[in-house]
Amino acid sequence: MIRLYIGGAYQGQEALARRENPESETFPDFHETIRRAVLSQGQEARDFARRFCAEHPDAVVIADEVGAGVVPVDARDRAFREAVGRALCVVAQEAGQVTRCVCGIGVRIK
Amino acid sequence: MIVLVTGGSGCGKSTWAEKLIASAPGGNRFYIATMQARDGESVRRVERHRAQRAGLGFATVECGKDLASAAVPAGGVVLLEDLVNLTANEMFDGGSVERIFPALRALGRRSRHLVMVTNDVFSDGIAYAETTREYLRRLALLNRQAAELAGCVVEVVYSIPVALKGELPCILQ
Repeated sequence: MIRLYIGGAYQGQEALARRENPESETFPDFHETIRRAVLSQGQEARDFARRFCAEHPDAVVIADEVGAGVVPVDARDRAFREAVGRALCVVAQEAGQVTRCVCGIGVRIK
Repeated sequence: MIVLVTGGSGCGKSTWAEKLIASAPGGNRFYIATMQARDGESVRRVERHRAQRAGLGFATVECGKDLASAAVPAGGVVLLEDLVNLTANEMFDGGSVERIFPALRALGRRSRHLVMVTNDVFSDGIAYAETTREYLRRLALLNRQAAELAGCVVEVVYSIPVALKGELPCILQ
């Protein structure tokens, strides 16, 4: 089962994910992984996420939420936020468990 | 039923709001489109949203400004997308932000269901210039008023709906 941990920057999602899943393979800073896959390598965000989930059915995925700000002036910044949103929607749908972390406190939303 | 749907960029809130409307029984469905597409990127965005809605049986009503003038008959099932564009258009394109909420309230009264989409744009911690700050204040006020009006407020977090006010509408759970 895929487990997704998200939260704003530095909200403790990585520490929480590692504490709750000490034996699992973790993928921290997944928003940066999405940035590389989509912006640098030109993959489509959803396709990348679907492939990742198929290849890592037991992954613990850890990412920052990056969409809750004013629309950036720079087109690449806008593309980054969109890509993270689209990809993480797919991961969240595939995940058996989604936890949102605020101030180190995890709230299970799925 | 009046529902306010919020969330960050690309979080799937439009898709969720559309599914919610599509699952509401009865009534003619109207989509109030507020984006004034001016460049390639916004044209593509509009096209993506149109493709998403295709087959859901919406009549699209274009309304970048002056919501009270939107040609939406009484008793409809209405999706308004979104408060962010509406506020920007009223503020930066010669309109009036103050007229949005009264029009919203009137629309809610005369519609069978109203689903309003807005956007959480308040959490990037960047100190913007005064014009942008004023825009954020006005949009935030409108969001609070809309949340007050709504029986149900939902935040969509990467496709997962989280109820902030009221119960999640059961049709989608």
